[in-house]
Amino acid sequence: MTPTQKIIGVLIAINFFIMILFIVFGQITVRKLRKNPATKDELGIEFVSGWDIINVAQALSMPSSIMRKFKNTKLAFLHANVDLLIQHTNKFDRILARLFYWLLMTSGLFMAMWALLDVTGVIRFFS
Amino acid sequence: MAEILLCNQPVDTKGIESQWGIASSDILGGGDNANPASLIPYRPYLISQNPSVLDRSLVNQLGPRNIAQNLTDMSLSFGADNTLALAHITAKLKEYNIATTGAVTSLYGHRVQGFGVAVKKYQDALLAYRDVLQSKSAGRVLAKQRAFAAYKQMQTRFRFELQAVTAASKARRGTPLTSATRATNIARSSRNVARLHVVDQFQASNLVKLGKQAKFLGNGLAVIDFGVRVGNIENSYKTGGNWEREMFVESSSFALSAGAGSAIINAGGAVLSFLVVATPIGWVGLIIGGAVIAASAAGAGIWVNNTVKNNSGGIYDAIMKLIYAL
Repeated sequence: MTPTQKIIGVLIAINFFIMILFIVFGQITVRKLRKNPATKDELGIEFVSGWDIINVAQALSMPSSIMRKFKNTKLAFLHANVDLLIQHTNKFDRILARLFYWLLMTSGLFMAMWALLDVTGVIRFFS
Repeated sequence: MAEILLCNQPVDTKGIESQWGIASSDILGGGDNANPASLIPYRPYLISQNPSVLDRSLVNQLGPRNIAQNLTDMSLSFGADNTLALAHITAKLKEYNIATTGAVTSLYGHRVQGFGVAVKKYQDALLAYRDVLQSKSAGRVLAKQRAFAAYKQMQTRFRFELQAVTAASKARRGTPLTSATRATNIARSSRNVARLHVVDQFQASNLVKLGKQAKFLGNGLAVIDFGVRVGNIENSYKTGGNWEREMFVESSSFALSAGAGSAIINAGGAVLSFLVVATPIGWVGLIIGGAVIAASAAGAGIWVNNTVKNNSGGIYDAIMKLIYAL
């Protein structure tokens, strides 16, 4: 296998794990929040069905001081309401959220960065 | 231009003549069945005195029962103009999605999908209202309120898309897509005949595609990208190729491009919000920022999709070698 294939192989493995976490987090935590009348309208914009799962994970993973600042802007509709979510989730939910969100972000943004560096021709050492 | 007549229950052509002013001798059925005495539901009829070859082929394209049935229901609940406009939009959406390959790669793609879902919800509410009225059961006020609520949601979230769709329609009283009152009136008046003006072959083929989609609109929109991928796997299976390998390639490239796209959109949203907090960025800046995020998500999605497609075959081979060695 070439170095590129090795990296992509690792990414595929991580993404498989992320997909499982996506479903588990969606079924355990977000399902509960969707059913709760207090939180069901506070899960952020849903570009596509299931996007609120990522919004909730983001709200529970990013530093809450930053999420609170977002709440008072005109882009608040993009994000889930962090204070309400903290009230209605337990520690396990939050650990799950962090694991899922940061894995998704690191692998996704790693690929994006790689794409950018490859397209601009900054690095060529992977292939 | 061909004018097409659709109905959802048997209608006498004499009745149509007195009610709509269409001479029964002008109504032509498919095949040799010229000038039928009564119209069979869910079958397209041509209204023309001397139809051209093109007109006949247009009607034949819309002929298959599953297509004609969806088209009839859609034309009756949405009005003919809107059905044509929706067919046009869905076709555009397909081109768009196939161009960007990764299903979750574009902000605007999602918005259009969301629009499709909102229109579908509205339509479902209208059909539910019509069912309640026809069965004369209780709850008609509630059903009507539901239809209005669904309309309001669609209207507030997708105002610009709606304007684009309805700009071509010239009906003076408004259409179901521009007025919930008009829509509930149509549902109440229990119309059962609709007329479609089909301009050309292209429009007819769009109508066929729209009619094929599972239940009116909706789920068909989400599986377009998948359809292409599944098609690749099926081709490989049919030609005796290594279809398991093809499936690994298609599903891993889909998953990774979707992952990259969603990460960019989510992180981009946070960055935009941060800019709003920290700098005096205005709406123009936000719109440009949104466009940049959508473009980079689509770009990264395409890059990841290609890179993974080019490489995951080798990974599959390596895994298989490992398994056989065990």
